[in-house]
Amino acid sequence: MSTITGERGGQASSLSSMLTLPFRFLMGVLNAPMSFLQRRFGIGGMGAVFLAPNMLIFSVFVLIPVAINFAYSLTGGTAIFFDDRHFVGLGQYQTLLTCSDYTTPSTCLQDAFWQSVHNTAFFVIAQVTVLVLVSLGTALVLNREMRARGFWRGVFFFPVLLSPVVVGLIWKWILQRDGLLNAILMDFGFERTLWLAERSWAMFWAIFVSIWAHLGFYALILLAGLQAIPRDLYEAAMMDGTGRMRTFWRITLPLLWPNLLVVIILALIKAVQIFDEAFVLTGGGPGTSTMFITQYIYETGFAHVLRNLGLASAASILMGIVLVGLTALQLGVSNRRARKEAV
Amino acid sequence: MKGLKRLIGGALALALSASVAQAATEVRIMWYSDGNEGEVLQDLVKRFEAQNPDIKVVVDNVAFGIIKDQLPVQLEAGRGPDIVRVVELKSQAKHWLDLRPHLKDAATFEKNFSNTLDWMREDGSNALPGFMTQLTITGPLVNTTLFEQAGVPVPGDKATWDEWAAAAKKVADSQKIPIALAFDRSGHRFMGPAISMGAKVIGPDGKPAVVDEGFKAMAQRIADWHKNGIMPREIWGGVAGTTYKGANEEFVNGQVAVYFSGSWQVAQFSQKIKDNFDWSAGAEPCGPAACTGMPGGAGLVAVKYTKNPKEVARVVEYLASEPVVREFSERTLFLPAHQGVAAKGVDFKSSDPNVKKSLDTFLRATQTADPLALKMQSYRWSGTIYAAVISRLGQVVAGEAQIPDAYARIEDDIKQKVAEASR
Amino acid sequence: MSHLVLRQVTKEYGAVRVLHCIDLEVGNGEFVVFVGPSGCGKSTLLRTIAGLERASSGEIRLDDRLVNDVSAADRGLAMVFQSYALYPHMSVRQNLAFGLENSRMPRDEIDRRVTEAAKMLLIEPLLNRKPRQLSGGQRQRVAIGRAIVRRPGIFLLDEPLSNLDAELRVVMRAELAALHKRLSATMIYVTHDQTEAMTLADRIVVLRDGRIEQVGTPLDLYNNPANRFVAGFIGSPRMNFIEAETIPIAGGVGVQVNGKQQRLPHLDLAPGSKIVLGIRPHSATVTEIDQGTIPLELTLVEQLGAETILHGKTDRGEIFTVSAPGQGRFSMGERIGIALPPEDLHVFNAEGQALPRG
Repeated sequence: MSTITGERGGQASSLSSMLTLPFRFLMGVLNAPMSFLQRRFGIGGMGAVFLAPNMLIFSVFVLIPVAINFAYSLTGGTAIFFDDRHFVGLGQYQTLLTCSDYTTPSTCLQDAFWQSVHNTAFFVIAQVTVLVLVSLGTALVLNREMRARGFWRGVFFFPVLLSPVVVGLIWKWILQRDGLLNAILMDFGFERTLWLAERSWAMFWAIFVSIWAHLGFYALILLAGLQAIPRDLYEAAMMDGTGRMRTFWRITLPLLWPNLLVVIILALIKAVQIFDEAFVLTGGGPGTSTMFITQYIYETGFAHVLRNLGLASAASILMGIVLVGLTALQLGVSNRRARKEAV
Repeated sequence: MKGLKRLIGGALALALSASVAQAATEVRIMWYSDGNEGEVLQDLVKRFEAQNPDIKVVVDNVAFGIIKDQLPVQLEAGRGPDIVRVVELKSQAKHWLDLRPHLKDAATFEKNFSNTLDWMREDGSNALPGFMTQLTITGPLVNTTLFEQAGVPVPGDKATWDEWAAAAKKVADSQKIPIALAFDRSGHRFMGPAISMGAKVIGPDGKPAVVDEGFKAMAQRIADWHKNGIMPREIWGGVAGTTYKGANEEFVNGQVAVYFSGSWQVAQFSQKIKDNFDWSAGAEPCGPAACTGMPGGAGLVAVKYTKNPKEVARVVEYLASEPVVREFSERTLFLPAHQGVAAKGVDFKSSDPNVKKSLDTFLRATQTADPLALKMQSYRWSGTIYAAVISRLGQVVAGEAQIPDAYARIEDDIKQKVAEASR
Repeated sequence: MSHLVLRQVTKEYGAVRVLHCIDLEVGNGEFVVFVGPSGCGKSTLLRTIAGLERASSGEIRLDDRLVNDVSAADRGLAMVFQSYALYPHMSVRQNLAFGLENSRMPRDEIDRRVTEAAKMLLIEPLLNRKPRQLSGGQRQRVAIGRAIVRRPGIFLLDEPLSNLDAELRVVMRAELAALHKRLSATMIYVTHDQTEAMTLADRIVVLRDGRIEQVGTPLDLYNNPANRFVAGFIGSPRMNFIEAETIPIAGGVGVQVNGKQQRLPHLDLAPGSKIVLGIRPHSATVTEIDQGTIPLELTLVEQLGAETILHGKTDRGEIFTVSAPGQGRFSMGERIGIALPPEDLHVFNAEGQALPRG
């Protein structure tokens, strides 16, 4: 069975055989257990064997904690350890979902939860829409032949590299009472505005800052998609007498659509989880106008001395259902595409 | 070969056991520092070790977050350090060790800390788990230079809250600074003034009965002050839920006339403000019921799960002794909880006259704190009350809710929490 | 309405000049082929005519209208790309109709033209398929169809057959010729394959390094190449070239090849000039070794059935190719004789220019 360990000795120089000795040794050592496993499980089963270590780690650090989290959501009390908690069935979910009018958070039992749900919903819709449009525009511009193209692409991508806390802090310093923006505006004669203390402005800036931070990433994905469109399609369209707008709508956009869909779904999934930048920027305020679901879960479960772990777990499970739904949507869309291309 | 192995093994074991026999008992202290307390503690601890060679004290100076987040889990699991400096004393009281049987002089210990022992033991218990490393007290910090420039006298001992607010507004208008009166965004900060206005907080059944006339009087004032610009919207109304927000930066930059915060700011302000302007603690503003702030502080307590209770008791007793507490307070600029030390006064080691003046003022305030305020520190539901108050009043300030709704929500939040914890 | 005039057209990319002073006229209904080796500028010239590239200087006129500044979309031309450039996300019908929709043509007119073109190109059953579901030849027809429906002034075809296999190429060549006749359209066709040029063109434009070497009908170029390059490029197998020196022969000049003298009556050169003789493989004949002008030692015998192509080496080491009709019996290493009929001899001077002959 030793097809791996060297038998090209006649041809190999002594130096190269010395250098490859550790590899050959390793291969020889691995050979025995690997061929044993292959005999046991067959070629098809080897796929499972190679996946097993990763699945093990995934189970321990993701699947099992999710299951534990779900178990916690069925309990009440303020104890930390599971054994000291009381089973309450779906009581926590009931508390969360009790509302006389779902569109008005103040009528709900857990008004902070519903306020954060509304805030998150608004944020997701507004932010993703603007983000996708702006990324598309940026990608279209970056796709042109222009000087220092590489530089501009780098500039747009740079914020993506920053940590969310850094992003939040930078913009907080710009937007605070004595920040850069007010300083510039006052130079032009405008009044000082407390950007982060006005309810409507705070949400605007939360959306703006998160778009600023992630624009480059999505623009890059769309740029790759644009560059995959063959140049001669545009020339053919030109020879067909097609104007610029029509070329964009009928040729660029349909061919870019798969990438666009990926971008939209990725952005949706990310937007639902918004926390870091917003928390550092506005702390959820003013009032609760920029408090999002993740912050609610954190507040409920960890911020007070009397941790309400059951309620927080229930809220996180509800949030998880939304995310699982979005992920299933993405998988469905990409599967459909894969099947179509296989035709 | 085997014989040689045995020989080496035996020699190792002998050496090990010898070193163990001579090893000192290790006592671990989990400590956090706001300022220089860590270094001061190390000094004191070294002196203790010199006098007590059979005990080795290891000080783990960790971030406050560790004590807030990780320690509770350790304690629940029956583990943890031997001694720990914590802020959440009452709610974790079941984890503390009663040092009474191990102390050399339990009676003196009890006498010196009598007014704060209830803060760290369960209701009805007479255990001696440890002592408060410092007392803090909330109270106003005043930018005296601004008052001087505006020609407004700093309100005195019997001045009411309304007078304080009016004076602050005059100074702000005259000196063109953005903030007249600032409060930390904290329920704890709010309660002192509320009690001064007559809030009773605790109902006859021992459960919270928060929203009464006194409470409403203060809450209404806070709302009004924000509305007519005396208090800045971005602090109380700037963040959500129970997120803390202070006005340190603003005060240090000379933008605040009166900052209702507390004694723990003194050391930091001295460092940051230097001689840019003069500042001082003010007398507690008064309401019809009292002129009080809220006392607080952190305590050094022994953990029940320690393996060396006798040694732990010796360390704690040393650190709680009068000369040690005096030195600790003088060097860290903390207010002592040791009543003997407080009565004799403390010679705070600072060249900054503002520091001495302020600390003396605050020290006096600790001695005149309202008994209800003291009781709040040992009350089981204080944290819950503070959280509900600040999140709901924050919403009022941000314009998100009306005051009557906020009152209802405060009661509701507290009731829900109490129910949850009693499950 | 499809008369093209190019006057002194040049094209530069930065410092590199790719087209040098091109002068050309293409008349109504002509099938003109641009042919030449790789990099000669034929595609660039085509794209410049189309408007996809901008001429650096010179004039391009369509029906006397100066179109240098007119965009490709407005020149009224249609192009068939080498890669077909079909819109992959649209059906064949939509591909064909796309260009027409730009001009706000009424729907039924569009449908009429699409059906007409599809019938002409035999792609009617494919109208609802997507390009990725078509074979290479089918895609090619769709690309042509897309051009047809626009009824352009001039069809521009950029090596449209080069991606097809050999057999399909032959079939499509015939179809293109038939299409040209049927539509009576002006077509400009670019290829590197001289066989395609010879079979399809009314006139061929031979290009080398951005310059026009010669323009003429296929037979013109075959029989009277203007220079050595055109002579060697047109005709397959390639013309044979023999270097020689003129010698005086009674009444004029001639050459001596392998001891045999050949008089070149119309040649106007001094004796002792260096010349190159050209003779096509199909013009040279195989004879007995002592009867021919050039002895040849065979290195390769290619039996094609209707003819035999013989490759050999002369005594001077030069390579020579000759075609013998039928299936002759030849073997490697055999020595044969080559006769050079004087009426088929081409003469080129030292600069490669063709010299007049009888």
